[in-house]
Amino acid sequence: MNAAQTLRERSEAEASRLPPLLARAEHLAGTVLLGDHGRRRSGLGDDFWQYRPAQIGDSRRMIDHRRSARGDQQFVREREWQIAQSIMLWVDQGASMRFASDKTLPTKIDRARLLGLATAILLVRGGERVGLTGTTLPPRRGNAQIIRLAQAWSEDAQTDYAPPEHRAMIPHARAVFISDFLGPLDEVELALTKAADRGVRGVLMQLLDPSEESFPYSGRTVFESVGGTARHETLKAADLRDRYLDRLARRKDALSHLCRATGWQMGLHHTGDSAQSALLWLYRALDGGAQ
Amino acid sequence: MTVLVGIGFTVPWVLLGLLTLPILWLILRAVPPAPIRRLFPAVTLLLGLKDDESVSDRTPWWLLLLRMLAAAAIIIGLAGPVLNPSRDETGSGPLLLVLDASWAGATRWSSTLDQIDAQLTEAGRAGRPVSILRLTEPEPPVFQAAEAWRGRLPGLTPMPWQPTEAQIPQTLAALEQVEDGFDTHWFSDQLAFEGHDRLVSALQGRGEVIVYQSTASATAILPATYQDGAIQLRVLRANPGPAESVTVLAQGRDPVGAMRVLQSTSLEFESGSTQAQIDLALPSELRARITRFELQGQRSAGAVTLTDDSLRRREVALIAGTLNREGLELLSPLHYLTQVLIPTADFVEGGLTEVLPANPDVIVLADVARLSDSEQAEVIEWVEQGGLLLRFAGPRMAASDLGRDEEDDLLPVRLRSGGRSVGGAMSWGEAKGLAPFSENSPFYGLTIPEDVTVTTQVMAQPDPNLADRVIASLSDGTPLVTRKPLGLGQVVLFHVTADAEWSSLPLSGLFVEMLDRLAVASAAKSRQEAQMQGTVWEPVQILDGFGTLTDAGTLAGVDGVELVSGQIGPDLRPGLYESGKQKLARNVLAEDAVLTPAVWPADVPIRGQDITTETPLAGLLLSLALVLLTIDVIASLALSGRLGLARAAAVMLGALLVVPDAQAQTPDDTDFALNATQELVLAHVLTGDAQVDDIALAGLRGLVQTLHYRTSVEPAEPIGVDLERDELAFFPLLYWPITTDQPQPSAEAYAKLNAYLRSGGMILFDTRDADIAGFGASSPNGRKLQQLAAPLNIPSLEPVPRDHVLTRAFYLLQDFPGRYSGTEVWVEAAPPNAEQIEGMPFRNLNDNVTPVVIGGNDWAGAWAVDRNGQSLLPVGRGYAGERQRELAHRFGVNLVMHVLTGNYKSDQVHVPALLDRLGQ
Repeated sequence: MNAAQTLRERSEAEASRLPPLLARAEHLAGTVLLGDHGRRRSGLGDDFWQYRPAQIGDSRRMIDHRRSARGDQQFVREREWQIAQSIMLWVDQGASMRFASDKTLPTKIDRARLLGLATAILLVRGGERVGLTGTTLPPRRGNAQIIRLAQAWSEDAQTDYAPPEHRAMIPHARAVFISDFLGPLDEVELALTKAADRGVRGVLMQLLDPSEESFPYSGRTVFESVGGTARHETLKAADLRDRYLDRLARRKDALSHLCRATGWQMGLHHTGDSAQSALLWLYRALDGGAQ
Repeated sequence: MTVLVGIGFTVPWVLLGLLTLPILWLILRAVPPAPIRRLFPAVTLLLGLKDDESVSDRTPWWLLLLRMLAAAAIIIGLAGPVLNPSRDETGSGPLLLVLDASWAGATRWSSTLDQIDAQLTEAGRAGRPVSILRLTEPEPPVFQAAEAWRGRLPGLTPMPWQPTEAQIPQTLAALEQVEDGFDTHWFSDQLAFEGHDRLVSALQGRGEVIVYQSTASATAILPATYQDGAIQLRVLRANPGPAESVTVLAQGRDPVGAMRVLQSTSLEFESGSTQAQIDLALPSELRARITRFELQGQRSAGAVTLTDDSLRRREVALIAGTLNREGLELLSPLHYLTQVLIPTADFVEGGLTEVLPANPDVIVLADVARLSDSEQAEVIEWVEQGGLLLRFAGPRMAASDLGRDEEDDLLPVRLRSGGRSVGGAMSWGEAKGLAPFSENSPFYGLTIPEDVTVTTQVMAQPDPNLADRVIASLSDGTPLVTRKPLGLGQVVLFHVTADAEWSSLPLSGLFVEMLDRLAVASAAKSRQEAQMQGTVWEPVQILDGFGTLTDAGTLAGVDGVELVSGQIGPDLRPGLYESGKQKLARNVLAEDAVLTPAVWPADVPIRGQDITTETPLAGLLLSLALVLLTIDVIASLALSGRLGLARAAAVMLGALLVVPDAQAQTPDDTDFALNATQELVLAHVLTGDAQVDDIALAGLRGLVQTLHYRTSVEPAEPIGVDLERDELAFFPLLYWPITTDQPQPSAEAYAKLNAYLRSGGMILFDTRDADIAGFGASSPNGRKLQQLAAPLNIPSLEPVPRDHVLTRAFYLLQDFPGRYSGTEVWVEAAPPNAEQIEGMPFRNLNDNVTPVVIGGNDWAGAWAVDRNGQSLLPVGRGYAGERQRELAHRFGVNLVMHVLTGNYKSDQVHVPALLDRLGQ
């Protein structure tokens, strides 16, 4: 089989993955009521906010004649201030995410992409601009951006534990990081502090497999990372459970501490749970962050 | 061989390996199982964690156990275990095998022979001289090498009697002649007999005695008796065991004449009782047809009881000259006759013309003088076909001029007119008594009571043949009873009346006995010695030990008294006896027989007769180990999370372990029919014995090759047919090798076989034993052949005549050798009217193909070739052997030609004559 054919085949396979992901993400997004983020104050926008008496300095053109004709006073019609935000997504594409402890469970990367894309769909419908962190895909509006996102996420990275992308952050934008955060903590810290420096706030969602939470192993075992970079052999896996769970709790603590310090929100999701609840939480977290 | 816990070991020291098992256990426990490789992204959190202990998780205990079992199985398997090892009876010196060889052991005879065979093998190994002594046929023991006896084993058969009183002294005397001491193994049939204890002590005096005795109880059926309108059947068993049910089959000829089971009934032995009884009420028609009762599933003379006239109620028509006057029963001329006959006969009511179509056995005419011409003719015809006409004189006969001038057809003698009366009030002289019966008289031997007197009689004319016809006469020499044969029947005249007017004969017991002798009254009760006095009975058919009836041949006649009261033995064989018109069955058991189990002295060890064959277990254990190790592989794979691999392994293993079963892949019926009919196909009957079947197939293959080479008959590859399943109509020829252990085909299979024979098929029966015992006499295969062929519609047979078409259907042959030669081959007999026409070399024989060809030459063995066409089995020696094989092939060719062309070759003989007539 020649190279062209292989490439073609692979791209076909890749392309075929897009519509299901998209469709699932659309489906998931459809479950959330959406709307523009009202600023709850008057400003530029389409929605009516309030009438106020015309004041000195208001230009004549601003006077709402329909309201003013009812009486002697002149009113100005104010609209609610609506603004489109830039939201940057980062979904861990590392090899460590390609893991599911059971056949019935989705892999972590699958769930992460699903959540990311569904969030993006919701945000785009809400009129926001969505993009990836880094320079590959700057935030834009419109459905085409969804397609581009899906394309970008259809490629797997080879390395384990990809570090968060923190370059080219747009100041005061919002960000969503989805990963298992099992890699080196320094990188995460660096990314978050850098984001905080630029006034970027956002949501950090840790996505774990149920087996990573419960460690149901025993006997002589060699644990290997998916990429094969790390390995650990033990004679009695069951004995490690407590210490592992301790370490996992500490990792979670460290993450949430970091979030508090930088004004981010932290969420935890397991692949064994429903994706919808995670999406709702994400959406609320972003909405809440908009306040 | 060392025996441990009932299992022998050929290499017992290997068992020491079992001691290593605990060590192996410890080692296996210490060695950690192979690590499981798991993907785990959170491994980063684990890095740097140390194990608390250096001991890993142990292998699960069940996996360890599995491995231990596998190891143990290998060790034990290599030690060569043998189940039921033949124990070393390392006796030495001569060994005497004593067999009861009575009917009681006939059912288990083959297993007894197997056991004897095993004992002979053992004795042969130990180099002990052996002799076999049959108590039912004692001969002085001759100690020979065991091998010499083994060849004679098949010739040993059980006898249909227990060791008789006369035989015990013979046996003891024979034992006396043996000089040395010897050990005895006694194969007992469980039953005690007279002199048993003497024999045991005599044998114990010479050496150790071991008794082999089956635990199954001997069962026997007593002679059927007729009581109160029902046949009474009683079955005995030797040991009172738990409740048990036995089935009794009543066999007889159906209206077509074929033997079949007419009735089957089951009897229940109650728990703890030794006798079971049932009354069987059957219509007299059916009852008359029964020839034997037998216990189903038993094959011994004791499980068979033959029936004779006693079950058969004769049909008697009583016709009196004077009509009965109402109320005068005692004066009826038929009163005494009726009294005599009621217990044993059925009466046919009506006038002469009405009873004749019912074809009674006997017609009694009491004082009937004249019959009309048409009646006369009909009665004569009936008598000529075997009827018995019994006439009594009386006033009417005396008054008529019946048979006065010339002999009447229905009277034995001419009569003088008037008769005479003596000893009455108006006459001189005294009433006459009876003269002793002459030796030629059927009444010979009956005792004559003093008080029987005759006052009046009809007198016979002194004709030249009178003396021959008188069978009883008065003290003055005048005839009392005369008889003449007429056709197949006879006419008997009592010169007195049937009532007590002319004589006191009808009042006496002699009258009953006379009627009995004349077969008017058949003996429903068992025959008394007195009745049998002076009679000689000729054996017609006798029972062998297995309960099969065979022709009596040239056995001498038996005295009547001896016949009813004697002990069954070599001189008085059980079977059917005949005297004149009467038939009597002497069965193995008398009516009052009891089965007494043999009692052995306490110091005689008794062993069961269940033969146990050595079963090597090594293969089994090693396969078990293999299976266990396989399970271990799968389990280990499953434990280390590589079950996918395990599944693949399991599938592969399954594929390896499933033995392809040829029988399971049978093509359906259509395929079979297609295979059998697309070309001519020869077939052989599957016997179930793989070796015989293979040889039969190879034999037919060889025959097919020969046919291909030499003739225009080109059959396809032969087929083995299963009689139960396959359609037979496709095959012109079925080759049926006989093995002793092939199953009896079912009734449906027989129906198929009979249809096959009727529609022109031919079966070649081959007993394959060179007919060593003469045709059908006692070779096991011959007996089996008789059993197998009994339900088949086979016509009468004869050895192949010299002008049979088989001798010239293709080759000219004089004899028909296979692997053996010189024995006779039987085919359908020529019709009795076949005769040689002047100028023709051959008779004009049967038009059809003979339905069966029966022989024992093992033709398939001679024909058999392998796939390369090489002969499989040797025939004879050297050139002569090859010649014999060639002749065997020629016989095969002739046979197939005969099957396919019928008597075409016979007709060819006429061709010259036809051509001559056509003027060519």
